[in-house]
Amino acid sequence: MRPVTAAAHIEVRAVAKEWLTRDHPVPALAAISLDVAPHEFLTVLGPSGCGKSTLLSIIGGLTSPDTGEVRIGGHPVARPDPRQVAMVFQDPGLFPWRTALENVEFGLELQGVAAGPRRERARALLEPVGLRGFEGRYPRELSGGMKQRVAIARALALDAPILLMDEPFGALDEQTRLLMGEWLLGIWARTRKTVVFVTHSLQEAILLSQRIVVMTARPGRIKASFEVTLPTPRDLDAPPAATLRHALWDAIRDESRRALDGGA
Amino acid sequence: MRRIVLARLGLLAGLLALWELWASRRDPLLYVPPSRVLPALGRVLRLEAYPTLLEHFGLTVLEVLAAYLLAVGLGLALGFALGLSRPVGEIYEPLLAGLYAIPSVVWYPSLMLFFGLGPASKVAFGMLLGFFPVVLAVLAGIRSVDQQLLVVARGLGAGAGTCFVKVMLPSMTATLLAGLRAGLALTVVGVLVGEILGARRGLGYLINYAYGFLRTAEYAALALLALGLVLAVDGVAAWVEGRARRWTEGAA
Amino acid sequence: MTPARRQLAQAASLAALVAVWELAVRAGWADPLFVPAPSAVARALGVVAPEALGLLGETLGKTLAAYALAVSLGVGAGLLVGGIRYLHDVLSPFLVALYALPKILVLPWILLTFGLGMTPAVVYGVLQGFFPICLLVAGGVRDIDQGPLRVARSMGATSWQLYRKVVLPAVLPAVLAGMRLGIVFCLLGVLVVEMFGGIRGMGFLLVSLANAFRAPELFAATALVSLLSIAVVLGLERLNRRLGHWR
Repeated sequence: MRPVTAAAHIEVRAVAKEWLTRDHPVPALAAISLDVAPHEFLTVLGPSGCGKSTLLSIIGGLTSPDTGEVRIGGHPVARPDPRQVAMVFQDPGLFPWRTALENVEFGLELQGVAAGPRRERARALLEPVGLRGFEGRYPRELSGGMKQRVAIARALALDAPILLMDEPFGALDEQTRLLMGEWLLGIWARTRKTVVFVTHSLQEAILLSQRIVVMTARPGRIKASFEVTLPTPRDLDAPPAATLRHALWDAIRDESRRALDGGA
Repeated sequence: MRRIVLARLGLLAGLLALWELWASRRDPLLYVPPSRVLPALGRVLRLEAYPTLLEHFGLTVLEVLAAYLLAVGLGLALGFALGLSRPVGEIYEPLLAGLYAIPSVVWYPSLMLFFGLGPASKVAFGMLLGFFPVVLAVLAGIRSVDQQLLVVARGLGAGAGTCFVKVMLPSMTATLLAGLRAGLALTVVGVLVGEILGARRGLGYLINYAYGFLRTAEYAALALLALGLVLAVDGVAAWVEGRARRWTEGAA
Repeated sequence: MTPARRQLAQAASLAALVAVWELAVRAGWADPLFVPAPSAVARALGVVAPEALGLLGETLGKTLAAYALAVSLGVGAGLLVGGIRYLHDVLSPFLVALYALPKILVLPWILLTFGLGMTPAVVYGVLQGFFPICLLVAGGVRDIDQGPLRVARSMGATSWQLYRKVVLPAVLPAVLAGMRLGIVFCLLGVLVVEMFGGIRGMGFLLVSLANAFRAPELFAATALVSLLSIAVVLGLERLNRRLGHWR
């Protein structure tokens, strides 16, 4: 039973969304509701096509729901607000014509921060992501993991209290993914942001989050919610983690099969 | 999709209507509305305007054929020579690219001097224009061959010749055909340009003739006829390309 | 192969070509009336250069005028057609068809309408240059990587910011490619008009020299135009590499 805390940072209320394709509408989300507490690290786990990316898009203000609404800090979300929410996607989306430093500066540039201060802030951000010395490199000179770190630094530059991450490590190999996960936890511990992390990897979910929410196959709904009270650093082989893993897999297996069969 | 097709038809109809309205109230010597072009086209096609039309048209077609055969021959030869041998390609491709930066028409006066005003200069010019896309397509095609396939073939004991015929050529077919089709289009343009710039016979010559005598409606009709030739030729090329593609992909 | 060795091989091949050519004419295998010896061409260059360079300047002037128009119209149209889905769906078959259409067919009409002088040359030059530029730019816009665009939107970029900071830099390579192609087409158009209409300029010079059977001068003049064109394209290529060093 969750203790009643202060007002939720993010409130998702009965949000539904349908995508119109050429042939017929595709329901992505079906009246989904969710609360995210301040400073919480929440993972959204679900099979492919269950609408988790759509959910994140809606929370970030990139798309609007057909019905229902999302509130952040009590205010409804109508459009992307970089002062509240920063987003990171699976495709790092670095601007190839900008150096790593210039990429990190981008958000600050949009907000009209002067060149000097924003350069300093950007430089300072490349340090904790371990990319000091790479400021002048162009994306084509960076590895996948490095690109994603620049993308995360770019998002952190916004200094927004909420960080939405849509399978950010999905394109990386396993070792890199594990390392990036550890590193992300360090950043979260330091910055105390509210993080909503989307993944389809049970391992990642268990390693990183305080709470895991499992979504059904399309159209997506919340199926189950799991508190993760394991001590950090998390040992995946230890019994509590293994139990959680089984529970998660039980919750998600049918949904994954449904997603597979449904041609998601 | 339906809406888009309707929009296109609407646009076309609108443009034709505009043309008709605008041209019919101006100097008839310069501006011919569709309502005058169509009867002129009729006269041309019934051989009333130019009784020798078939001769001229036939000559143009023959020039295109000859030019194209030469363009393909030269293009394939040069393309494979440059593409199959790394050192040769490295040395001479930049030179070819340099040639490509020169507007083709600067060669025409030299061709006219050498070959005269007859069909030979048109064939030469058409060949010159048409062979570039073929060479480029051969080079691109060779480059696009999946090296893995060659590795597999050699692993199965295929020699150089077999690799070429059974792996490279089939892989290249789509790119090659696209290049052959583009080459044909350019050959037709080359022959027409040559005829319009200076000839004694041919469709381009007729166009020039009509223009010279200010028989503007007939000039427009002849231009449409030339356009028809271009479209028909490309239509045939597209059909061949489609057929060949289905054949190679079907076989796979 | 190192660049030095490659350039050496290229220079050697060209030198060999010139040598064989010179020999062929001297030995009588080629009729110097039609195929002048390189030495004759070199001499003729001195003879014809003053006049040729002046006329080249005139042709270049018309070409640049046509080019400026073709680039502005072509890039503008390309951005619109590439960026607005509806426009692209409706118009692109027309644009592709017009690109493939031999524009020489309308040249007589252009001369009838605009007379002789600079105007028909510029008009026809624009006609030739517009389509490749427009199509390349439209293609570039359609191919824009959605990833960076989405990131910028998620950061609250306004439409204007999106355009200036994401779309334009992303489209620049395609614009430069179009511009590189466009200059050759514009020059081609101007030359064709000069040749066909007897309008003063390099095109007319080439045709006159050919009609007068002055082969060495013709080859020399042809070489001049060719070198100019290559120089311009190489210049644009260098600009392209400079601006696109991040690729």
